[in-house]
Amino acid sequence: MNTPAYRGVSRRRVIQIAAAGAIAAPFVARRGFAAGTPTVVNSIRSLTNPYHATWNKGGAAFAKSVGADYVTLVTEGNSEKGIADIKAVLAKTGGNCVINVDPNDSPDARPIVEACKAAGAYVVTQWNKPNDLHPWDFDPNYVAHISFSGVPYGQAMAEALFKAMGGKGGIVALGGIQSNVPAIERKKGLDAALAANSGIQLLDYQVANWQATAALEKTNAWLTQFGDKIGGIWAANDDMALAAVEALRADGRAGKVPVTGIDGIQLAVEAIIKGEMAGTVAWDPYWQGGMGLSIGYHAKTGGFDPSKEPKDHREFYGKGVVITADNAQSFYDSNIKSEPKLDWNDIWGRCNGQIQYS
Amino acid sequence: MTRQGVDHERRGGARRGLARSRLAAWAPFAVLVLLCAVITGFNPNFLSFGNFVRISQASMIPLVLGLGATFIILMGSVDLSVEGILTLGSVIISLLVLNGANGNDLGVFAVLIVLVAGGVLGAVNGAVHVRLKIPSFMVTLGMWFVGVGLANAILGGLAVRINDPLIRGLAIHRFLGFPWGVWLSLAALAIAYVIQDHTRLGRYLYALGGGEELAALSGIPVARVRIATFTLAGIFYALGGVLAAAQLGLGNAQIGQGRLFTTITAVVVGGTALSGGEGGVLQTLVGVLIVTVLSNGMVLMGVSPSVQQAVQGLMIIAAVALSIDRKRLRIVK
Repeated sequence: MNTPAYRGVSRRRVIQIAAAGAIAAPFVARRGFAAGTPTVVNSIRSLTNPYHATWNKGGAAFAKSVGADYVTLVTEGNSEKGIADIKAVLAKTGGNCVINVDPNDSPDARPIVEACKAAGAYVVTQWNKPNDLHPWDFDPNYVAHISFSGVPYGQAMAEALFKAMGGKGGIVALGGIQSNVPAIERKKGLDAALAANSGIQLLDYQVANWQATAALEKTNAWLTQFGDKIGGIWAANDDMALAAVEALRADGRAGKVPVTGIDGIQLAVEAIIKGEMAGTVAWDPYWQGGMGLSIGYHAKTGGFDPSKEPKDHREFYGKGVVITADNAQSFYDSNIKSEPKLDWNDIWGRCNGQIQYS
Repeated sequence: MTRQGVDHERRGGARRGLARSRLAAWAPFAVLVLLCAVITGFNPNFLSFGNFVRISQASMIPLVLGLGATFIILMGSVDLSVEGILTLGSVIISLLVLNGANGNDLGVFAVLIVLVAGGVLGAVNGAVHVRLKIPSFMVTLGMWFVGVGLANAILGGLAVRINDPLIRGLAIHRFLGFPWGVWLSLAALAIAYVIQDHTRLGRYLYALGGGEELAALSGIPVARVRIATFTLAGIFYALGGVLAAAQLGLGNAQIGQGRLFTTITAVVVGGTALSGGEGGVLQTLVGVLIVTVLSNGMVLMGVSPSVQQAVQGLMIIAAVALSIDRKRLRIVK
């Protein structure tokens, strides 16, 4: 329990490492040469959710592509642990590392960035940071911050749902934890789509805390309350959307009432192919886990100078992939069935504008 | 319905006290009826058959979990490993029956394996607790993380879809209008009731909860009873895992989230005392119904999502306040 740095490593990975070690053993001398390569580190919330598990796979794939040592740190929702583990890695590598972090909570980003700057390591943050903490204030170590705006994608999913409903009828909506920024943004997108489509009526909005269990309960109660008036279900993430599909299935209505989610997990994509869901958005955590490291790695190894990059490369929105029945099968084939093939050198390819703080 | 504590007869002359506490034992039931009446007033759909079925579906897992927890709480201990064993159970079942990740197809046999696994984890809980004399709170807290951790290690954070028609049938196929899972949970209730009222283990549980030193002095094998009870509870949690996997059609390491809270709440709201020795599985049925009817009802009544949690909290305090017999309480911790 006290070796968090390696807790996140999967069994398959252990076997791979063991195999790699066995093969590399005769070439121990070459290991000394590799010591100059910075260690690449992903710090994420946990490995219990598909999202961060895929993130971790992307990180491992990037590390393999440049032959760097790879470390996964897991916060388990504990900010103190997250920061302490990063400081431990900085000390162990003497600052010769690149850190790609999804901070457990916004305030954590500042001590993490300060520690990296002090140690000479390079850091990329994603999703959470205080609004007044900017990469350009910590040149060159704080390379970039990446986030995704929930508003356009919450709206895109609502539009996809309305389209599947034929443009009219009643919907119910499942939201994430009320104080979460992504939950607020995605709901804002839903509201915008509702305002633009007068034929659609929002029957009820409930908070299901991102959880399948809570979503199942809420949807069950709605089936009693509104019955056939429910023409569609909008959910702020895929876990809740899939639970809504199960509630419909128990009622004999799966596939008849369209449901949309967000996040793009495998089961959701499969449900779209089966016609039980109408859409989702893939953030591509594989890209986040690998490209976050790649951006930091290129800066660390002299590929570019962060202080010379424009602001929309330092604090930018990434691009999500909208998946509906039209492209679900091709997305499944190229991203899920086979390991995604990404060009890790295309570091600015998914910049989608500078982040706006209101 | 009114199972009273062992120490009632102690206060021989206090007939009024006895009547008062009998009334208190019925309080949760009265709360349930009142709750149903209020919700029906707001939304008559509440009384529809379709909604009964949905409430029963929402209750089946908390009921099965509550049965296990009731036994533990009856003997004055506490069990926090509910989510751990349930999660591991749902992950194992999802990998052993027909599924989207590997070629296994063990059917009913897989369910047995899961129940045995739950029993083993429960037995470890009990053995560590008794032999190493570690409070049940800490042992089971550890087992909670062990269970979720193992589930995590097995799946690496991914979810596995269950395709087995038998397992999915528990949630989808119906008998007399109710899903098979509901009947299964009622069967579990019947078994638990028989264990509680018609076996030596059941008698011993109440004796332990009422006063462990006395029980030990009168020759009850305290250690064995404790280990057996934790084993039994583990089996019930594993069954809960099977039902949870059946209901969501998948196994993943997040499937247990929030269930410990519902379980303990249902047991306590039903009238089983946390101090042990008082209550029973039928009270737990009432407690489970109160909790699920309340959350179903709040959606039906259109209570704003932001205050639902607060209402749930108030409800817990109110239900427990109504059911406590204050005359017998000298110390409140």
